[in-house]
Amino acid sequence: MSLHRITLKVNGSTEIVDVPGNWTLLQMLREKLALTGTKNGCASGECGACTVIMNGDAVNSCMVLAAECEGAEIITVEGLSKEGQLDALQKFMIETGGIQCGFCTPGVLLSAKALLMRNPNPSEYDIREALAGNLCRCTGYNRIITAVQKAAAVH
Amino acid sequence: MSIIGQSITRVDAEAKVRGQALYPGDVYLPDMLHMKVKFALRPHARVVKIDTSKAEALPGVILVLTARDVPVNEYGLGMYDQPVLCGPGGVKEYTDRVRFEGDQVALVIAEDEETAAKGRDLVDVEYEDLPGVYDPIEAMKDGAPLLHPDKGSNIFTRYRIRKGDIEEGFKKADVIVEGEYRTPAQEHAFLQPEAGVAYYDDQGRITVIVGGQWTHKDRDQIAHALNIPADQVRVIYPAIGGAFGGREDMSVQIILALAVMRLKEKGIDRPVKIVWTREESIIGHNKRHPFIFQTRWGATRDGKIVAAKVTVIADGGAYAYTTPKVLGNANLMCTGPYEIPNVWVDSFGVYTNNIPNGAFRGFGGPQSSFEAEMQVSKLAEKLGMDPVEFRMGNLLDEGALLSVGTPLPRGVSIKKVVQKCAETAGWTQTASGWQAPKVDAINGKWTGIGLACAFKNVGFSFGAPEQCTATIELHGEAEIDRVILKHSGAEVGQGSHTVFVQMAAEALGVPVDRIELVASDTAFSENSGSVSASRMTFMAGNSIRGAAQEALEKWEAEERPAISTYTYRPPKTSMYDPETGKSEPNFAYGYVAEAVKVSVDPETGEITLEDIVCADDVGKAINPQQVEGQIEGAIVQAAGYALLENFIQEQGITKTRTLSTYLIPTVLDIPKRVKPVVLEYADPIGPWGARGMGEMPYMPLAPAVITAVKNATGKWFDEFPLTPEKVLRGLGKIP
Repeated sequence: MSLHRITLKVNGSTEIVDVPGNWTLLQMLREKLALTGTKNGCASGECGACTVIMNGDAVNSCMVLAAECEGAEIITVEGLSKEGQLDALQKFMIETGGIQCGFCTPGVLLSAKALLMRNPNPSEYDIREALAGNLCRCTGYNRIITAVQKAAAVH
Repeated sequence: MSIIGQSITRVDAEAKVRGQALYPGDVYLPDMLHMKVKFALRPHARVVKIDTSKAEALPGVILVLTARDVPVNEYGLGMYDQPVLCGPGGVKEYTDRVRFEGDQVALVIAEDEETAAKGRDLVDVEYEDLPGVYDPIEAMKDGAPLLHPDKGSNIFTRYRIRKGDIEEGFKKADVIVEGEYRTPAQEHAFLQPEAGVAYYDDQGRITVIVGGQWTHKDRDQIAHALNIPADQVRVIYPAIGGAFGGREDMSVQIILALAVMRLKEKGIDRPVKIVWTREESIIGHNKRHPFIFQTRWGATRDGKIVAAKVTVIADGGAYAYTTPKVLGNANLMCTGPYEIPNVWVDSFGVYTNNIPNGAFRGFGGPQSSFEAEMQVSKLAEKLGMDPVEFRMGNLLDEGALLSVGTPLPRGVSIKKVVQKCAETAGWTQTASGWQAPKVDAINGKWTGIGLACAFKNVGFSFGAPEQCTATIELHGEAEIDRVILKHSGAEVGQGSHTVFVQMAAEALGVPVDRIELVASDTAFSENSGSVSASRMTFMAGNSIRGAAQEALEKWEAEERPAISTYTYRPPKTSMYDPETGKSEPNFAYGYVAEAVKVSVDPETGEITLEDIVCADDVGKAINPQQVEGQIEGAIVQAAGYALLENFIQEQGITKTRTLSTYLIPTVLDIPKRVKPVVLEYADPIGPWGARGMGEMPYMPLAPAVITAVKNATGKWFDEFPLTPEKVLRGLGKIP
């Protein structure tokens, strides 16, 4: 497989990466950039564990080819905190008990972040809709919704 | 102030929100190789020949392994009845058979994952298909195809209970309810598919980093299959992405260890990694057992249950896994938490060519709870009694005898739990007894309410060796500056490591931030037993308390550091008597009751869970936020079981191989309101009074939902999941 050279911004820093043409954004993040916070739960866009923000929108990174990311701006879970300080979403996920096994957590955080970036005052329904693609098998979701509501209140 | 009962922050929370927590698939080691499994993908066949030459010739493929390469080609949690790799050339008879589609036939190790996958596809396997059997009732018949011919029968586990005189019991009954119930399979759908990395550590031990539920049992099964001493194997659990019972049996543990061992023999000392796809995960690990119950219960006009006769049939799938234990639980729980003078139970665990069934939250309890609670609700209905009133007259009290002829251990709270649940859900006690609340109408929908209750053991049952070990080191001079707690108890998301630290801090009288936890590494921490059976808080708490006390005594005696390793052993339990079932089954229990209000759309058949009350006696909530998290998560998982999750296998081939065909609840599918009522009636031998609680809220939900649906629609459903299609069919709206 021939390699493609891609220049993109990940969590604010410019990265130049050579990737095979059949690689996904998820593979590139994990295998080339060592950003293993983005999880692979199904590799087919069904679970949401690999959600990242691409040019302002939440996407399943397993459904985006790396080669499509030329010039893109990507935010992963590693890019949510600023100078080590947790983002409000991260803080309230901890405080409300929205985390159990934690495997869905990065994807949930990024879906919620994309929502708050485009809609700082979401209704509960908006939150549910934004998280509808993120499966969680542990928590029963309610504490996650509360965490997003609390983060929206201080956003 | 006591740290017990405080909702301290999870010890792993920050690493998880930062994306720093490493799960097995996140471990990358230098010079690592990648492995793929050749699965059988057929339900029953003899492997005639495996040709690996084309795979071996593929550039980048390093090694291909088959059955001939496995030193002792067998494994299993209880019975060694499953080959590690199926194929010819084995010493043990019948290891050349594949018995379900997820049986493993060959391993391909290559420079990268893509090459390993190509190599896997180049492995040629010649099969001779064998007749299959997919229905446990068919499998029990004479002449059915045998899964394990050496055993002579597909029935591999059976229990019986004989209490009182069943025929006399039915003679006393004024009403009798007979029924046949079927419960479905369920897929764990933990978010992290199976993965792991193996390598030789600096002391020459084969080391496997993997997600599991019992480090030491994984280690022992690896050692058995590789025919090496257990101390030459090291198992480490990093962060684990959910388990729910689905990681109790082996998945990638043995094959990873085998791969590095065989590579090293060829002079290749390189780590090997494997990550299963979601589809591999779904066909590769066990499911919740589908059960069939044939049952007949009788009660007197004044509301006393006088007889219960139950036949319990569990589809074990292709291998034993935990069926003997799951069936043991089901055998006990199929008559519910009730005092019944005359009981007759026959239980069977049966091999079929389906995916093996095994541990899943509740461990046979949810299935039996469904049957028992349906029978009890139907008896109450037939007697014209309120379901709470009827239950109150039959629930087990302190000292009352179980079906197995012995009383529950002290601390029986089921009546108080049912009372609290009923009151919270709106039941009232009137002069004529308990009375159900009126359920508000919802425009265009039918509404109803249902209640069910359950008991569930805490800890290993029926004489299984049960113990848990903790090590505590106290460092410092005048004061304890630093505490090292070593414990193997797995953190699968339930918060075990957080409560370990809390309990250690409390037992030692030091702040939590002084405790350093060294967890789940067989090189450092001793055997804790599994995270299963709602046992870890109970067992770890008692081991930590014992170690803390001994270490403090040494500290007082000026030992520096003061170190104690303490093993907690609970009161002994005993196996069923083969004829009567008489036994002391368990040393501790948790008690739970749930009330559910539903609405049913008569046009679409859709069921909405409007309100759920869960009253759960947890003994003592060590960390109330984590306890409520378990309740909420269990309820949503059980709601999926009752209404949505529909695992389909046809002739041994799974149709629901993805998360878009096997649906689990999303954030749009959850109950509207869940009210956890955390009750704290201390267990006399629990640490700080704690009981186990991880499974209990799962147990009575399906029967509570289905009783509520009956209340709303007038129709009893004896099978679930209650998908809209099934509801409409039940209501006669579609053929």
